[in-house]
Amino acid sequence: MKIFVAALAFAAIAAFAVSTVLDTIQRPSSVAFTTGGARVGDPGNNLIGPS
Amino acid sequence: MPSSLSNLRALCAAIALLLVFAHPAAAQLSFKPTAEAVQEDKLLNALKEGDKITGRISIPDVMASSLIQPAGRDWRDFHRSTLPIVGGIAILGMLALLAIFLMVRGRIRLDHGFSGTRILRFASFERFTHWLTASCFVVLALSGLNISFGRILILPLFGANAFATMSGYAKIAHDYLAFPFMLGLAIMFLIWIKDNIPGAIDLEWIKQGGGILAKGRHPPAKRFNAGQKGIFWIVIIGGALMSVSGWFLLFPYLPANVTALQFWTVIHAVIAMLFVAAMLAHIYIGTVGMEGAFDAMGTGEVDLNWAKEHHSLWVEEEQAKGHAPSGGAARPVAAE
Repeated sequence: MKIFVAALAFAAIAAFAVSTVLDTIQRPSSVAFTTGGARVGDPGNNLIGPS
Repeated sequence: MPSSLSNLRALCAAIALLLVFAHPAAAQLSFKPTAEAVQEDKLLNALKEGDKITGRISIPDVMASSLIQPAGRDWRDFHRSTLPIVGGIAILGMLALLAIFLMVRGRIRLDHGFSGTRILRFASFERFTHWLTASCFVVLALSGLNISFGRILILPLFGANAFATMSGYAKIAHDYLAFPFMLGLAIMFLIWIKDNIPGAIDLEWIKQGGGILAKGRHPPAKRFNAGQKGIFWIVIIGGALMSVSGWFLLFPYLPANVTALQFWTVIHAVIAMLFVAAMLAHIYIGTVGMEGAFDAMGTGEVDLNWAKEHHSLWVEEEQAKGHAPSGGAARPVAAE
């Protein structure tokens, strides 16, 4: 039972850690695809999460 | 005179009207939505597989330049119609097969009962890896199946708002639990590959139906029998395909174009349905289907008689190493 609970806890912690890392290294689409000649609008909130 | 002027005006008006209706440009300007739609449909149908209408864009997202891609309709139809049918048949068919097998064969019990002597089957790290991968798989499977079947099965029960909220959180869980799942998959491959190389003994196990079709027959097997090796390779190969295709879905700008992205979504969805069906069989035989099997991943230790019946060669190896007690099959005790 301890092993099972430890596995669940590790899965949750690993998933949270990955989400934090990806949030850090990725940029919102409104920033990533904006150039000097074109500005992409802020998409706001959707299933992808806060912009 | 006024009468002549009036007649002239009427004549001019009539000529003007005639010119307006007779002029081709006037006919083109008339509103004929049905005719226009037919022309558009012909245009779309004229596009062949892989063709698309593109525009010119100034942002770095090259995929945004695709305006019309008729193949997308086939892809959408596949996800809305074909996939739920194929997936439903695979999953419900497997459940039906397992139910029939349970009714006909019954639970596979130990021929000699429990000996009361235990032998270590899986170490703590192995069980940790198994449960890490399995727990992630359950969430990934349920949240994935929600994409294909949720609109049909859950939306009418929950209502639109609750279904949308649940699906939103399920999507987030699906995205991020994919990473510990991939980690578990890689570790499982490394720690169990040496025991899962197919050999001649597996052919004999398959010829005898694994001993599960008839009572009292137990073909020899090492640590993993042919059935378990099959599950291992289904998990590894299926998991690898799910990981690669899932990686492209997580980062949709990695594929070269929209067509490649659609290809990977189809691979992801089809493998997922087959994967879920295969894991149902794995879960069945590890719990309800075979007496004493769950202990292997539950406590890590199995009864010596269970090990001798299902993995006789492995027990001999462990006894030769001094890792397992000798005996067994001599002191049957009540099963449950």
